[in-house]
Amino acid sequence: MNSTWFLYMFFTAVLLFTGIYCLLTMRNLIKLFIGIGVIGKAVSLALIATGLAKKSVLAAQSLVITYIVVEVCMVAVALALIINIYRKTKSLDIRQLAKLKG
Amino acid sequence: MVLQILLLVGLVLFSVLAVLLKDLLRAAISLAVASLLLGIIFFRMNAPYAGVFEISVVAGLITVLFMLTIALTKGGETAESKAASFAFPAFFVLFIVIDAIIMKKLIQKVPALPGPEEAGTTFGQVLWNARTLDLVGQIAVIFAGVFAVLALFRKGDNKDE
Repeated sequence: MNSTWFLYMFFTAVLLFTGIYCLLTMRNLIKLFIGIGVIGKAVSLALIATGLAKKSVLAAQSLVITYIVVEVCMVAVALALIINIYRKTKSLDIRQLAKLKG
Repeated sequence: MVLQILLLVGLVLFSVLAVLLKDLLRAAISLAVASLLLGIIFFRMNAPYAGVFEISVVAGLITVLFMLTIALTKGGETAESKAASFAFPAFFVLFIVIDAIIMKKLIQKVPALPGPEEAGTTFGQVLWNARTLDLVGQIAVIFAGVFAVLALFRKGDNKDE
């Protein structure tokens, strides 16, 4: 693999670290989904970079487009869930959901 | 190549801003700017279709969805732990150093295995001929998402409240 691919992988790893740090430390539900969005960017960048290195950018592009469609559906459902949780608990704190008894 | 590295650094910078900013609206806008930069990076990597989708759908639609949710849940701000925000730069720099060392060691160690033959010469051929099942899956996922949102916002059976 050429050195350009390693450069892209370096940035992919940094983005992944940022997203996972967000998921591990933040408490706001919307912030957690922003973290998932950052991880998604890392995945798309890795797919396209590997496609470029293997000279099959077209297949990589179709995979990225599939991923983007899945991401949109996931975010729509997740945000609907967050709105429902907010209506129920009047808070966006993830720790509120850890209480099993109302 | 220098411009590409600058774009990648900007992508990481705006992603970090999106994670660290306390104001949710500003965080969502930072995420949109990061998507825009990623779209430009895709254009420069000979992947125009992925770039168009990234800019129009991720930077446009998902940002609108985030803003709508932030507007609908006003008043639900939660105090993030201060230690997490303060510790981030130290962990970030440490990770970048480890990442750089590992990537430098790995250069030329990973063998370039031959990739699969490209199934067509244009993007349309690859998407419609080689990846037909993906398209069926996409349609199924879109329907699942629509029905899930409809079910979540259903009226009339809120007996628990």
